[in-house]
Amino acid sequence: MARFDRIKGDYVYIEVQNVEYRVYFEEKGSGIPLLCQHSAVTDGQQWRHVLNDGDITSRYRVIVPDLPYHGKSLPPESVEWWKEEYRLTKSFFKDFILEFSHALGLERPVFLGGCMGGCLGLYLALEHPNKFKAVVGLECVLRSEEASLDFWDHPRISNNFKAAATWSLMAPGSPEKYRRETVWKFSQSAPSVMKGDFHYFFKDHNLTGQTQDIDTSRIPIYLLTGEYDAVVSPEDTRRLAEQIKGARFIEMKGLGHLSLCENPEALKRYLMPILKDIAGV
Amino acid sequence: MKVVFLDSSKVEGLRNAINNDTEFKLAARFMSEDVLLEVDESRCIVKVQDGVVTEIKLNPPSDAYWSFSIKATAESWDKLLQSSPPPFYTGLNAGMMRGNLQIIGNMEVAFAYFWAMNRMLDMMRELQNK
Repeated sequence: MARFDRIKGDYVYIEVQNVEYRVYFEEKGSGIPLLCQHSAVTDGQQWRHVLNDGDITSRYRVIVPDLPYHGKSLPPESVEWWKEEYRLTKSFFKDFILEFSHALGLERPVFLGGCMGGCLGLYLALEHPNKFKAVVGLECVLRSEEASLDFWDHPRISNNFKAAATWSLMAPGSPEKYRRETVWKFSQSAPSVMKGDFHYFFKDHNLTGQTQDIDTSRIPIYLLTGEYDAVVSPEDTRRLAEQIKGARFIEMKGLGHLSLCENPEALKRYLMPILKDIAGV
Repeated sequence: MKVVFLDSSKVEGLRNAINNDTEFKLAARFMSEDVLLEVDESRCIVKVQDGVVTEIKLNPPSDAYWSFSIKATAESWDKLLQSSPPPFYTGLNAGMMRGNLQIIGNMEVAFAYFWAMNRMLDMMRELQNK
């Protein structure tokens, strides 16, 4: 008897900043909508373990979009995107999530994001607390350190570099099969995508001076960062959490920067109590 | 503790281990570069020709050619080479991001062969803890 994941995949057409995008998404489960945003350069594949976890899908409708230019969400047909450098902005990223959520008719979904996705959740909480039930951010930071991005899209450096650079960002104790799978994902995108996504994470993302306006009485905030995360250290996230009154911070022992896919069992130990808390179980 | 790549009794074993590693062979298959490894003031050069480590030269002259250098203190190398390294010492990128090691020189070449260097570090770690 063949095994199936029974995950539903579909495309939805949405307009973001006057451009139409054909957006791929997967979903499974029923209950509170749980909108899961992948991290830079990868796509919804990162969430396969959450999509396949019956303990989660029994209470949550897990919804996983591929951001335009990522995974199966191709570049738009109506603009000559090949004539300019791909660059993700905070403004586009935020509008995309709002339009996607609206198009699917999601009622106050819980937003769960990793790295750049997690950071975006804090802007959603800041500006749209009535549209989301809670934000769970993995690997969030107030502001990233400035970084040179030129080598992330360079004609003489292959996508293999992206895989190699990702390798040591994971915890040495995470299962090798999942660490290998993670670096595979990180080498899959079009060459320009990582640099373009990093524009948001390293240059456009900056919550300085805004954190005091996040009202956790209206939208609970949970921030989790792995012990081995060299991009966003636990201390970085702890400092961020201290600036958001009522935000809860948890250091995830034995996990690194790719917590949402490098060690699914370890992540679940930290994620389940939060999802139960949000669901009021 | 002496790091494996500066130990004259172990460098030949290290060279063989790297050359026998199938992942290194794949990642380094077009590589012909000299890589300087620095531990405080001690140095060696790993010479790679067509993906094969031909020599690990201890105490090279100060004017020896190299393409890029991987540099860290003895304390940092000690942590980098532990069988289960502590946070921020898990490898090249993690170490660079947290200032625990430096890569200096031709960064384009260093990044083009980053996976090969990852594997070389893995081999060093394995032999260091044997």
